[in-house]
Amino acid sequence: MPRSLLNATIVFGEVSVPVKLHTAQTSQSISFKEIHLEDGAKIEHRRFCAEEDKEVPYEEIAKGHEVADGKYAVLTQEQLAAATPGGSKTIAVEEFVPVDDIDPILHDRAYHLGAGKDAGAAYRLLHDALAKTKRAGIGYFVFHDRERLAAIRAQDGILVLQTLRAADAVVDLDTLKPDAADDARAPTAKERKMAEQLTEALHEPFVAADHTDEHRELVLKLIEAKAAGEDVELPEVEEQDAPDDLAAALEASLADREHSGRRRRASPTKKPAAAAKKRRRSPSSGGKARKSKGS
Amino acid sequence: MPRYLWSGSLSFGLINVPIRLVSAVQDRDVHFRQLHEPDGSPIETRRYCSEEEKEVPFEEIGRGYELDDGTLVTLTDEELDAAAPRKSRTIDIEAFVDRSEIDPLLFDHPYVLLPAGETDGVMRAYRLLAEVIDSSDRVALGRVVLRAKEHLVTVGVRDGLLALTTMRFHDELRPAADVDNGGRKPSAAKLKAAVDVVKAMSADWDPGRYEDRHRRRLEDAVAGADRTEDVEDPKSGDAETPDATGARDMMDVLKASLDKARAG
Repeated sequence: MPRSLLNATIVFGEVSVPVKLHTAQTSQSISFKEIHLEDGAKIEHRRFCAEEDKEVPYEEIAKGHEVADGKYAVLTQEQLAAATPGGSKTIAVEEFVPVDDIDPILHDRAYHLGAGKDAGAAYRLLHDALAKTKRAGIGYFVFHDRERLAAIRAQDGILVLQTLRAADAVVDLDTLKPDAADDARAPTAKERKMAEQLTEALHEPFVAADHTDEHRELVLKLIEAKAAGEDVELPEVEEQDAPDDLAAALEASLADREHSGRRRRASPTKKPAAAAKKRRRSPSSGGKARKSKGS
Repeated sequence: MPRYLWSGSLSFGLINVPIRLVSAVQDRDVHFRQLHEPDGSPIETRRYCSEEEKEVPFEEIGRGYELDDGTLVTLTDEELDAAAPRKSRTIDIEAFVDRSEIDPLLFDHPYVLLPAGETDGVMRAYRLLAEVIDSSDRVALGRVVLRAKEHLVTVGVRDGLLALTTMRFHDELRPAADVDNGGRKPSAAKLKAAVDVVKAMSADWDPGRYEDRHRRRLEDAVAGADRTEDVEDPKSGDAETPDATGARDMMDVLKASLDKARAG
């Protein structure tokens, strides 16, 4: 049984369902420590007062919210603590909404909920009722000193708690639409048909395990090789050119698809005739520069 | 105008559409900066070598990975950047998959892809791809490298714009099978009573009705209020966590819940 992060109780109507909160999503990203390259020693982060050029102990730190350029509304740690909710462990369901109506764009983090102490019957009852009605319970949930809106739904035979973003966190897409969007000539019937054929040819069942983190694997290999003192050859990759004659490119794609059969990783050596004729680079792609400085 | 997080091209077969990536959600949290309380000046973080007691410039910092035996392997940013399995400025569409087959827990962050450049060719290729995806129940599957990390992504359509969502890899999800599912199924009578309660407490989904209470509390605190009075504080009221509703009392409790929901 996985370790639980929190014991809480879901309340709907008069029914109490103790649950255990478990991690559902774990990052497997490789994490690095900052190292001083000269001597291989670890880097420490130290807090300095910008004015006095001296190191500041933790007790002398306050939090400031910038209200105007360089002007801060200062909150002491006590004031900040007073503004954060205490350890409520009750998730009161306010209402049940159709689970499919919740726009996934609002999904933030998700947790598995397991049956808590003595909860067997009540847990299973809530799960089965949610599964049957295809609804999710909506309520507020306090975790790590922060109150969040959450949806509790039935998934894979257990309850899942999904924290939700506020509605106003979603960017208004109308403000992003390029002005030229509506003026551009609509794709022709022929282009559409070919594009549909191409998507059909590329259609496959989604099997999550087929998609591995190749970047992570490559970095781990690099680490192993360096640990063994070996030289590492890294693959050279080339960037592609910008678009060209749409119909010609579609036709070439379909032909390419038919020749190469299944699952093709676009290789930099394959280029449509049209692209070679009229080389043009997107002004936004930063030219050939593929070096992006890591974070 | 939103900040572009990445620009490059979306490659579909042999068509390349120059695009820019922007986040589809904005961070509306109340942000704080560390200040030195006595004089109110901002705190700077300085990087020090733990061995030498001296500040280290950015160029002299590498990345250290600790092996299981404690050995530290150091990589430079250049070596890390070079460890790219594929092009870093292109999102290759590798496949089209049915959206319904994707576990929603795999989705990570939502973005929008905007066409880069407003030439007829760019707009038309962009529009063709958007129309073709929008008229199906499928999404495109590809990969993108953001901040030195590769992500599996889906590309779908939202309000006529191509919408990209980064995904977790399958080994970044914990199996649901490890979680205690409560055991035995409830009786048909209990399930029916519970379903009645759920239905009685039903509402349409309207996210705008829910306030971001966390944000509100911090905004009020910043505005000088010591305590936010009109935001319900979960600290009060439920200091006592209720006991689990037992199987024996369940029917009575469900009936009481139904009465309450119908009355309310």
